[in-house]
Amino acid sequence: MSQSVSVPVKKPVVHVRRRRFSVKKTIVFAFFGVLLVTQLYPLLWLLIYSFKTNEEILSGSFFALPKVWQWSNYSAAVEGGNYLKYLSNSLLVTAVTMLGVILLASMTAFAIARFRWKYGQLVMLVFLLGMMIPMQGTLLPLMIIFKHMDILNTHLSLILPYIAFQTPIAVFILSGFMKTIPHEIEESAVMDGAGVFRIFRSIVLPVSVPPIMTVCILTFINIWNEYILAATFISSERLKTLPFGVYSFVSQYSVNYGAIGAFLVLGALPVILIYFLLAEKITKGMVAGAVKG
Amino acid sequence: MNVLKVSRWTIAVFVLPCLLLYVCLVFVPILVSFYSGMLDWNGIGESKFVGFANFGKMFASDPVFWPAVGRTFLLAGFSMLVQLPVALLVAILISRNVRRPNFLVSSYFLPVILSVVVIGQLWKTIYNPASMGGMINQILIKLGLESWTHSWLTEPKVAIYAVIVVGLWQYLGYHILIQFTGIQNIPADIYEAAKIDGAEGFKADRYITLPIIVPIFKISVVLSFIGSLQSFDLIMVMTGGGPAHATDVISSHMYNMSFLSMKYGYGSAIATFLVVVCLAATLIINLLFNRLDKRFS
Repeated sequence: MSQSVSVPVKKPVVHVRRRRFSVKKTIVFAFFGVLLVTQLYPLLWLLIYSFKTNEEILSGSFFALPKVWQWSNYSAAVEGGNYLKYLSNSLLVTAVTMLGVILLASMTAFAIARFRWKYGQLVMLVFLLGMMIPMQGTLLPLMIIFKHMDILNTHLSLILPYIAFQTPIAVFILSGFMKTIPHEIEESAVMDGAGVFRIFRSIVLPVSVPPIMTVCILTFINIWNEYILAATFISSERLKTLPFGVYSFVSQYSVNYGAIGAFLVLGALPVILIYFLLAEKITKGMVAGAVKG
Repeated sequence: MNVLKVSRWTIAVFVLPCLLLYVCLVFVPILVSFYSGMLDWNGIGESKFVGFANFGKMFASDPVFWPAVGRTFLLAGFSMLVQLPVALLVAILISRNVRRPNFLVSSYFLPVILSVVVIGQLWKTIYNPASMGGMINQILIKLGLESWTHSWLTEPKVAIYAVIVVGLWQYLGYHILIQFTGIQNIPADIYEAAKIDGAEGFKADRYITLPIIVPIFKISVVLSFIGSLQSFDLIMVMTGGGPAHATDVISSHMYNMSFLSMKYGYGSAIATFLVVVCLAATLIINLLFNRLDKRFS
């Protein structure tokens, strides 16, 4: 009996509170929805655009779907635009850069974090100082230097500065992590007669896989999308990386709108695919990279 | 205390490859740039040492330079006064209202990882005249606001704002992510304690979230400021600094002077200015926030 009385007394209170709450929530979620549309709809629209004919793009309504989905736009983009060549160039440059960054930065980070020497902090400071230097400031002198070294218009002229500009944040992240590895590990390794290189290769590197992943992600996102250095240092069609390739395709084929759309979609596709697979890792890595400010 | 006692050679093997590459490709170029900023040089022929003449010309008689500086700061201003507060608001609302925030945050973040070339071309198409399928103009016509239509990227007065919108759009998600992560890292028991003391909702945000988030917010400010100073690729891809220099910023002006007009010396002077402003800005922002931090704690 007492239960059946207490329920109707309690219920209205809960009900009112929940309703007021839900009005507020509705507004908030509507806001989230609007923001979601503004952030994602342009990309979705690009996808639809890439399947339209020139006529549909020029005279049709913006929101209309294509009558026939023009896959031919994609074949035009792949055949006419060297897509696969650009893609493999980007893969090569990014992969070599990532390897270089990891190898060089982890060695330096190891020295800063674990060696007993006077200048560790100074070296760190030099790297930190460089984080604030904008890449554009070095564009012109680098071009002159590379011209003298005769490596302009090669992939090396991209890979070298890419590695250099990614090392500060990599050294920062890696040495921060390596400082947290307990000292007992290497003490016992030294007891067992392991040399420095052995400790580095067999103990420190395997333990440091998580921050190395972070560095990989940061390097990948930054280098994969890099456009300015590529556009300045590379002139041969067969050496262009994807962003530069996309740009030159767009400026050359300015009349075939659908194919341009298709090329843009193809240009964005690799990163988006990787993002679908690794979204959480990527967002975490990008936050770690942001701390450099 | 670090324990590994190693020989100088070992240190050299571990540190020098990285350090040398870094110094040669980052610091040396900057110094070279300082020096060639004092040359009258087209990059090929003879160079002539002219002292600070390039800088004098830059500050006093280059009609493009100061407007470009102004636009650079306009970009930074919009980013800090519009983008960052919106990002903070969204971050607070998400952390308070959404139980599984990953989908939302990573969707907002998606534009950040796309190449500026793709983003720039995409928005160029969106800004097209209605007759070429441009989204914005078609929407305006549908709403009966035909007089509001513009050819957004070719009218000098609106072009820079059109570019700024794209920059704000692309990086909004980055700042949402940074600040959301910052809020997530605030221990929940602080809010519970505040609830007992009667602080909930916006009151809790005012007295707990905001003060604690200050260092994270600083990261956003530095990123957005430096990002605006370097906002280069987007402008090169979308307008190249045109029409008639109406969208030139410091870095695009530097690029056009160096690589299109072949004034290497003058371009280097602008590059030097850019580097100095970047360093100064980072320093000033850090000082301001240190002060702010002290006041809050």
